[in-house]
Amino acid sequence: MQLKHANPPQRLISLVSMIDVLLIMLVFFMVTSTYLNLDMIPMAQSSDEVTSTAPTTEPKTVMIRLGGDGQTYLQGRPTQLSQLAQTLQSRDPNTNILILPSARASTQSLVTLMDTLTTSGITSLRIVQLEASP
Amino acid sequence: MKFARPTRKEHPETIIPLIDVVFFLLIFFMLIGRMDATAPFDVTPAIAMTGTDMPGGGTTVSISATGQIALDGAELDTSGLLETLRDTLTKTPAILIRINAHKDAELRFVLPLVAQIETLGARDIELVVTPATP
Repeated sequence: MQLKHANPPQRLISLVSMIDVLLIMLVFFMVTSTYLNLDMIPMAQSSDEVTSTAPTTEPKTVMIRLGGDGQTYLQGRPTQLSQLAQTLQSRDPNTNILILPSARASTQSLVTLMDTLTTSGITSLRIVQLEASP
Repeated sequence: MKFARPTRKEHPETIIPLIDVVFFLLIFFMLIGRMDATAPFDVTPAIAMTGTDMPGGGTTVSISATGQIALDGAELDTSGLLETLRDTLTKTPAILIRINAHKDAELRFVLPLVAQIETLGARDIELVVTPATP
């Protein structure tokens, strides 16, 4: 006579520990994450990315100097940013702008100037630096 | 004659929706958050209106207000930074290089460094800015 072994009851895997781990991970991500809202402005791009439209006339070049105190100078005269925007809006948008910043000027003043020029419709913007001759 | 009302069986509250919500939150925080090495010094980017959305990836060069430099969270001197970037650009020439300069950093700390990085062959250099609130 064969005796059948009674089937042992199947044990259920408890989900409680997994939920604990999930909660710990959730709290970790919520506490340690700092969400920064950041944008970017191009400083250098490869030449194949720069799209150039052929201007009908030779574009003019305007140089704007940025002083160490953040003051902007157009054609040697101190100019407020609002005045600068008005002047540039009346010009051809293909005008090349060269910015000659002082080494002592802050990054914020350069970004503010670039912002003003971009909102005035200027599309060609370059920053130039003077180097000491060897 | 009184009939005793049958007692209703109380259903145990299931915790499965809770697990679903925790899972959902966990995946949300893991996907939305971008892990990024923070600079070993204070860096508050300049505020700009005309910035564009910043893509992920790439490498970040941080510049403090006093001219300290860090690459992806590790403080370096200029020669060390350029050497590391040269190696990186040899392996990945199209890598995005973010310049995260403090808004008060003088341009003498920022622009020559950007020019040096450009001469290493970097094709895409972007300046990190904070979007201006309208």
